[in-house]
Amino acid sequence: MKESKKKTIILGIGNPILSDDGVGIHVIEELKKKKFDIPGITVDSAFTGGMNLLDMIVDHDRAILVDAIKRNDKKPGDVGVYPIGEVSAFHTTNPHDLSLPQAIDMAKRLGEKRIPKDIRIVGINLGELPTEFGENLSPEILNSIPKAVKAVEKEIKKDG
Amino acid sequence: MKTVTIDPITRLEGHGKISIFLNDQGNVDNAYLQIPELRGFERFSEGRRAEDMPQITSRICGVCPVAHHFASTKTLDDAFNVEPPSTAKKLRELMYMGYIMYDHILHFYYLGGPDFVVGPDAPAPKRNILGVIEKAGVEIGKKVIKHRAYGQKITSILGGKATHPVCGLPGGISKGLDKEEVNNIKHMVKSSIDFAEFSLKLFDDIVLENKDYVDLIKSDPYQLDTYNMGLVDDNNKVNFYDGKIRVTDQKAKEYIKFDVKDYFKIIEERVEEWSYMKFPYLKDLGWKGLTDGKESGIYRVGPLGRLNAADGMATPKAEKEYKRMFETLGGKPVNSTLAFHWARLIELLYATERAEELINDPEITSKKIRNPVGEPDEGFGVVEAARGTLIHHYKLTKKGLIEKANLIVATTNNAGAITMSVRDAAKGVITNGKINDGILNKVEMAFRAYDPCFACATHTLPGGMQLQIDIYNNRKEKIKTFNQG
Repeated sequence: MKESKKKTIILGIGNPILSDDGVGIHVIEELKKKKFDIPGITVDSAFTGGMNLLDMIVDHDRAILVDAIKRNDKKPGDVGVYPIGEVSAFHTTNPHDLSLPQAIDMAKRLGEKRIPKDIRIVGINLGELPTEFGENLSPEILNSIPKAVKAVEKEIKKDG
Repeated sequence: MKTVTIDPITRLEGHGKISIFLNDQGNVDNAYLQIPELRGFERFSEGRRAEDMPQITSRICGVCPVAHHFASTKTLDDAFNVEPPSTAKKLRELMYMGYIMYDHILHFYYLGGPDFVVGPDAPAPKRNILGVIEKAGVEIGKKVIKHRAYGQKITSILGGKATHPVCGLPGGISKGLDKEEVNNIKHMVKSSIDFAEFSLKLFDDIVLENKDYVDLIKSDPYQLDTYNMGLVDDNNKVNFYDGKIRVTDQKAKEYIKFDVKDYFKIIEERVEEWSYMKFPYLKDLGWKGLTDGKESGIYRVGPLGRLNAADGMATPKAEKEYKRMFETLGGKPVNSTLAFHWARLIELLYATERAEELINDPEITSKKIRNPVGEPDEGFGVVEAARGTLIHHYKLTKKGLIEKANLIVATTNNAGAITMSVRDAAKGVITNGKINDGILNKVEMAFRAYDPCFACATHTLPGGMQLQIDIYNNRKEKIKTFNQG
């Protein structure tokens, strides 16, 4: 595939041993299985808070974060694409660390110039929040993975 | 009875909830801290390969993966009956110092410090790092971000992965250091020592020079007269990576010093029906309820617990600061919960000095970094996480699989103390029903000082969790439960 015009990072976020919480990581694994290999696009995953996320996305033109979200107006397994700040994604709002929007604000205040201009969240809406450790996803979240993968691919195609 | 709920406690992992019970006069009858729980980590680990545990446990929590990683690796050393080569131990400890550096910087400047730097009564949107930068200046902000990143960088050079280490193996470590990496770390450590000293100076200027803050630190609602616990070396100095667990009493005298193998003989965990968290206490003293003093088995861990439980710091600059803190605050032990912040900065200085000792050790580049493992059986491991004593305990099958696992994490060790501190602060600052943001923040400050991390204390999901609010009457009967999404 031809090189992406924008230097991009696609980052799945979540806890891989906390069932549905880790859906972002599962989406990334699925993407990698499809040999999603475009020059200029990095595909990675993480389980961490805002400061480390910021470290991971700087020096890119565009960041696409894949994470679990919780919206009462959506059904479990619904997938949506949102600009950062519009939704509270699970792992961009870790209250022990800074949230990613706060980390970005801070970095800008300190004169950081390498923050991606375009940061979006591909959010998978969860149903019941996980209360038990495990590696299996609930059926509706498992079914949402192909939708989330398509959403990521669409984002990439849309802007090249 | 009117119930006031502070929810959620901002800036902390997981969604804690404080419920405050007011009497008819508008004063506080009682206050409780409640945390929702994620279950089943111990069960989740059963049947897994023991050598996977350092990776698995480091994913319990996105905040202190390094602490779990090495508590687990040390447990495996013990379970496989192997002593790592001294270089491996030094590399592990060096990496650990990187973790303490970034974690303590994060807490002081981003989470706990804003209460002082910006002020406890400042509006909530200002009590954060942005408020700190506004008040202290952009140049200081840059220093903060740079040195937090240095700590993170040191752990990633040694740990192999930026956010979750993969280097710890039973009997050693997977990767050594080359000369270029040594030079790189030397440079970062040198700068970090200066930064730690600068941070203590900042604490002096902003907190200790302000009579109101000193009065607040010394005020009754923030005092707790418990036992103290922490890991110490052979000279009873603070050690994060290795040593014996020491407990000191209300007069700072040694109550007991024990090997982690005996933890279950010394520590018992209490279950209370109103909380998901277990409350550890010293077994011989017994559970006397949520109360402090000599008769109660409740103890504190974390920066202040460690400094109280030790006889000093093993590095010169930190030792000087250690003495100064106790002299300033009236001798040992210091019981002020808000002194956790000061203790944390002294530990930051120690971590940087210790890192310098380790990186200058000629043995640090030795290639002998792993010893062969023996037969698997049972293992115990302990480290001092940034938040306090962290214990892992596994029983292995003959094939090296996990038969049983038990973890006592730092915030659980502090569960009784945190709950009491919150209650006492609420009783102290709320009178005649007067409640506003600044007053509620002073209740939260009692909580935040501990730097609690409920993600692993109760395995709470970071970022979102259903909340349950329980209301109790004055006979401690549950009269209503609310579930909120």
